[in-house]
Amino acid sequence: MLNLNDQHHHQFLRLFAEHEPALRAYIRSMLPSRGDASEVMQEVAVLLWQKFAEFDASRDFRKWAFGVARYEVLAYLRDLARDRHVFDEALVNRLAEDAAASELRHEAQRDALEACLQKLPPAQRELVLSAYTKDTRIDELAARRGQTAMSLYKVLHRIRRALLECVRRQLAMEGLK
Amino acid sequence: MKPHWHETIQQYVDGQSSAEEAAALRKALSEDAELRALYLDYMNLDVALGAMADAAAVEENRSNQTVTLHEARAGSAPNYWRWAAAAAAFAALLVFATLPRGPKPLRTGQDVAAAIRSSQGATARLSFDTTSALPAWMSPTASLLEPPGVPE
Repeated sequence: MLNLNDQHHHQFLRLFAEHEPALRAYIRSMLPSRGDASEVMQEVAVLLWQKFAEFDASRDFRKWAFGVARYEVLAYLRDLARDRHVFDEALVNRLAEDAAASELRHEAQRDALEACLQKLPPAQRELVLSAYTKDTRIDELAARRGQTAMSLYKVLHRIRRALLECVRRQLAMEGLK
Repeated sequence: MKPHWHETIQQYVDGQSSAEEAAALRKALSEDAELRALYLDYMNLDVALGAMADAAAVEENRSNQTVTLHEARAGSAPNYWRWAAAAAAFAALLVFATLPRGPKPLRTGQDVAAAIRSSQGATARLSFDTTSALPAWMSPTASLLEPPGVPE
């Protein structure tokens, strides 16, 4: 039989696993750098666990987690204020509101992406997944393919645009714009 | 909306844009809701592609391990020396079985207690935490979990 502490673990892990993709996308919407987003995501996971005892189970976990994440992103950005890739606080807040309002559509886009990825020629599909594999460096990947980093970025831009247009078309067909 | 924003957003996210281009994008994002929607769609796509690449890498690792195991099984040459060793061991066993033997010594109480302690230790080493919803290796919060408690 599970004790209270174990039930607490269970409940947190279940909720966190369910909402993790949305939370990651929400944090990413406010932080253009993948590395920054990943760092903040880890911080937020720890914070959510530390504060979970205060969480009211009758409330929406996702909304609560988004609130914690937003404060954490703003705090992180204050520390990085001189970086040219950092958004100002007003823009971050606007993006956070838009991202929260678009969450259903974004979830549907993530679901539609699998089918769109399958529609790509195999070489392009393999390339885009290689580029997104953890610890991959674009300059090294480009060198292995006998390309410059710049030309590889351009190929990746075309693939990402094709994928985005595909998922948007897919959602329009399903009546989700 | 101008089509060049697709390229501008992606350059910005990849850290490829100049300071002027980055400033122009930030200004435009503050003013244009449609552009913000496009930007957020790209960010969402970025996260989803990262998750898919991770899943593909895990799948590839798993299938590589399976292939290696199959190769190890299918590709190994027959080891005739093993057959010879097994035959020799069997012959030695037959000789040993036919030898006259004295009465089997009884185990002392101390021996039995030591054996029980040893098997309890082995059982404890084999025990694992069955209360976790996810195995620790796949849990994003594995580092947050306390070590499993010993039942009273």
